[in-house]
Amino acid sequence: MDTSKLASTPLHRGAEADLSLATIGPWKVVIKRRVKKEYRNPSLDKQIRHDRTISEASIIHEAKTSGTRVPSIVGIDVENDAIAMTHLDGTVARECLDEMGINEARKLLRSIGEQIGLLHTAGIVHGDLTTSNVIVSPSGAPFIVDFGMSRRSIEPEDRGVDLHLLQRSMVASHNKDASSMMNAMIRGYEQAAGKKVANSTWGKAREIARRGRYFAIR
Amino acid sequence: MCLGIESTAHTFGASLVDSQDRIVTNVNSTYRPPVGVGIHPRKASEHLASVADEIVRTALSTKDDSSVDPDVIAYAAGPGLGPCLRIGATVGRALSSFLKKPLVPVHHGVAHLDIAMSIAKARDPLAVLVSGGHTSILVHVGKRWRVYGETQDITLGNLLDMFARDAKLPSPGGLSVSKEAAKGENMIKLPYTVKGNDVAYSGLLTAATSALRRRGNLADICFSLQETAFAMLAEAVERSLVQTRRSEVLVAGGVAASSRLKEMIGSVAEDHGASFHPVPVEYSGDCGAQIACSGRLAYESGVTVSTSDSLVIPRWRMDEVDVPWIPRN
Repeated sequence: MDTSKLASTPLHRGAEADLSLATIGPWKVVIKRRVKKEYRNPSLDKQIRHDRTISEASIIHEAKTSGTRVPSIVGIDVENDAIAMTHLDGTVARECLDEMGINEARKLLRSIGEQIGLLHTAGIVHGDLTTSNVIVSPSGAPFIVDFGMSRRSIEPEDRGVDLHLLQRSMVASHNKDASSMMNAMIRGYEQAAGKKVANSTWGKAREIARRGRYFAIR
Repeated sequence: MCLGIESTAHTFGASLVDSQDRIVTNVNSTYRPPVGVGIHPRKASEHLASVADEIVRTALSTKDDSSVDPDVIAYAAGPGLGPCLRIGATVGRALSSFLKKPLVPVHHGVAHLDIAMSIAKARDPLAVLVSGGHTSILVHVGKRWRVYGETQDITLGNLLDMFARDAKLPSPGGLSVSKEAAKGENMIKLPYTVKGNDVAYSGLLTAATSALRRRGNLADICFSLQETAFAMLAEAVERSLVQTRRSEVLVAGGVAASSRLKEMIGSVAEDHGASFHPVPVEYSGDCGAQIACSGRLAYESGVTVSTSDSLVIPRWRMDEVDVPWIPRN
């Protein structure tokens, strides 16, 4: 499809892509267009944008098929490195977490853990899992978005990176008790992925955190 | 006046910083290993020990040939190479007990950021620390620097040094690689690994050194290595910046001397409406001034250590140090 002639209104500027709102047929859609990065060598830049656009669209579709709450793909515009997907109503978890009471926040984290568990069970890792990439619907159901860094993998290492990143964003961006939040998350994860996978993924996540340089071994 | 003593790896440095945060003296000597060889910790420490006396004397002497008595002695307690750290710590302890002045342990990485913030005038930035010992993206939350992104294996300085060593280019590797890169123009495809806000460089090192062994064009390999490695970090910085929404971006550490890296990260900052604060080249590499600058701030926050507890900490993470003096005024 060609998204360049669609009437659209800017929605959000992310790190690597611009999001805008448009209408295609009956759908209210989000157009995610990967923009040229001036700092990057042009051939490297083109390659990265092209590869990620195709990979992201196909992975979102696969995640949807597996039952994970994600947007639906409406079309791909390879020429312009853009993806059209259904728009989600709701609030970014990063925004609403700090306004929640501790119990409500724990419930949300458990539900987020469940979604990650479903995703991992489908053989997909997100690769950039932070509270900015979770949209909470008005009914409180979390949707996972931004699959720009995602890959197909069943390696405990890659799954561990997802939980590690989520934990780090909990510690760095929110003033809630991160360990209680992560405990709730891992319970939801275990429910969807099973105890065995949950143990290996969480073990890896802790190992990855320790692997950072100069981390004292205790 | 705060005297700072640096001796974490290849450099012995001594510097005086006054109560107005002005660098009064800054004297350094760096051990350079032979081409094709890395830093041997014992050989480096022998160099540091041999120059320590003269460096400290020079740093303490004023223009009219008299000697300054510092009010505080700060030493780099870690992280770094054990044999090297112990040289600086020994000098620090000796001066502190002889002059009867308080002793302050300083974290070398925190010090890189402190001097960069002092000179490049940053208040509460997203900090990018790039050196042989660190490749981290940090923000200050509460009392500490929090790691937002970092390398999952080797540092950027490591990558460039180890590649340069293999390519028989002289130390420091970053400078040699960038000189060669200026002559290259063909982009070779190399592994580009960004995991969330983290980067991983070991695959890139392997691919670049095997391209070298296949007798690829050195300038093109250096060019591609530098473009790929820096773009990875710039992307991780961009992600972190969008998430943390800081309005300042600071770049510090030895690799911050690279103009191409500064160009890339500067472009990221500009793109997201943040001001850009690169450390000046003369204070990017390891030096006494960073320790004096950080030591003064730590002392004013009440940090001191008794001689008997003044240990060195070869492995010491940035996020384990209380840094209550940030945001800076």
